Amino acid sequence: MKKIIAFFIIILGFASSSCEPDDICDPTTPTTPRMLIKFYDISNPSVQKNVTNLKVIGEGMSEGVVLNPSAVDDTKYLANGNNILLPLKTDADIVKYKFILNYGNKNPLLVNTDNLEFHYTRENLYVSRACGYKTIFTLDPTKQFILTDNTPADELWMQYVIVAQNNITYENETIIKIFF
Amino acid sequence: MRQLLKYSFSICFLLSLLFVQAQEKTTTTTVEQGVKITEQKSTAPTKKTPEKKLDSTKTEPPKPKMDRYGLIVGVDINKVARSFYDSNYKGIAFTGDYRFSKKNYLYAELGSESITVEDPLLTTTTKGSYLKFGLNRNLYTNWLDMENLITIGVRGGFSTFNEELKNYRIYNPNPYFGPSELIDSGVTHNGLTASWAEVSAGINVKVFNNVYVGFSLQVKALITNSEPTDFENLYIPGFNRTYDGNFGAGFNYTIAYFIPIYKKKVVPVEVKKVSKAPTNGAVKTVPRQ
Repeated sequence: MKKIIAFFIIILGFASSSCEPDDICDPTTPTTPRMLIKFYDISNPSVQKNVTNLKVIGEGMSEGVVLNPSAVDDTKYLANGNNILLPLKTDADIVKYKFILNYGNKNPLLVNTDNLEFHYTRENLYVSRACGYKTIFTLDPTKQFILTDNTPADELWMQYVIVAQNNITYENETIIKIFF
Repeated sequence: MRQLLKYSFSICFLLSLLFVQAQEKTTTTTVEQGVKITEQKSTAPTKKTPEKKLDSTKTEPPKPKMDRYGLIVGVDINKVARSFYDSNYKGIAFTGDYRFSKKNYLYAELGSESITVEDPLLTTTTKGSYLKFGLNRNLYTNWLDMENLITIGVRGGFSTFNEELKNYRIYNPNPYFGPSELIDSGVTHNGLTASWAEVSAGINVKVFNNVYVGFSLQVKALITNSEPTDFENLYIPGFNRTYDGNFGAGFNYTIAYFIPIYKKKVVPVEVKKVSKAPTNGAVKTVPRQ
């Protein structure tokens, strides 16, 4: 009987000595966050307003940010809701985006491009063995963003931009409010 | 059915003993039942030590068997071999078994390890040493002059170490601007400690004069763990890698030398109980198990 017990412990030990839990970073674990931007109606500031075919392209990138992951082909770059999530650079303290409203509209007078530039500081924090490190951001309090019109100028479609929160740690906290 | 089960387990033990491969033929057969006893009796005189030859060499009622008590000192070859083939690992461990009663041993292990762990998102180097202390119990009934051990044991372990984060990557689930770069970091966390408890099962077999070869497997559970600020202990020397759940497993393969210190006569109290229960090998009757 003792032989059997000892034998089983040995076999169990052999089996478990090479065991390694499959460490996968749980998608619900908060890691490096994107910046949440919400859109509001300028004539009714507490009411959210949907954008039409908004495309956002980062500086130096050829493709837009995927704002609508469930769509297919080029429509995945277009947003038609009242909020978007924009990724920030983890290796630089500045990020520039082109916000193109009514992208692809047949009437070129309706297509309007504005440029937004964000300045921030970064901090790397340890999450876990599987997730490694994440970066959280804090908008620079003296120079949070710079809003400029596109060249050639087509007027700013964003009439008012305000920072709701400086700390960018989670993706469900509104950072920027844009009124148009 | 019971006999069949017994034989099958004995055969499995036999196969696991083959790991050692230096056994003489006569000793491997002791694992099986009484059928082979006559074969042993004829070879027994050649295995007896000089002291025993002073007793009469004619067959007669049980000769007093002497148990040798001493210290078995060994080195963990598994760690030494790994130091050669694994460029990320350097380690060694020394083990000691001190027999203080017929079936119980005091166990101690002292080791030091230096390992570089390369995870997909992090690379860390851990260097440290550890000490384990505990008890082993020999479950095996040795016949004649054999001194083999099948042990189960419990021990506590303690380790001090330092951990250095070599480099890491930022985990970005939305890499719009491209994949994250490797960031170098030389941050070292010193003075880390951890302690744990483990249970082990093992075999230690005497292959020839006083030289033992054995292996053991351990299952461990962490008790204390000093976490560095803004990081965690990814590897603890002596414990193996740490995961959520605080459990670990380990494996030792040792080559050891037995240093005899004194001998104790085995008191043949069990002679009267022969008819009822199986006894140790001092009584040369067919044990009924």
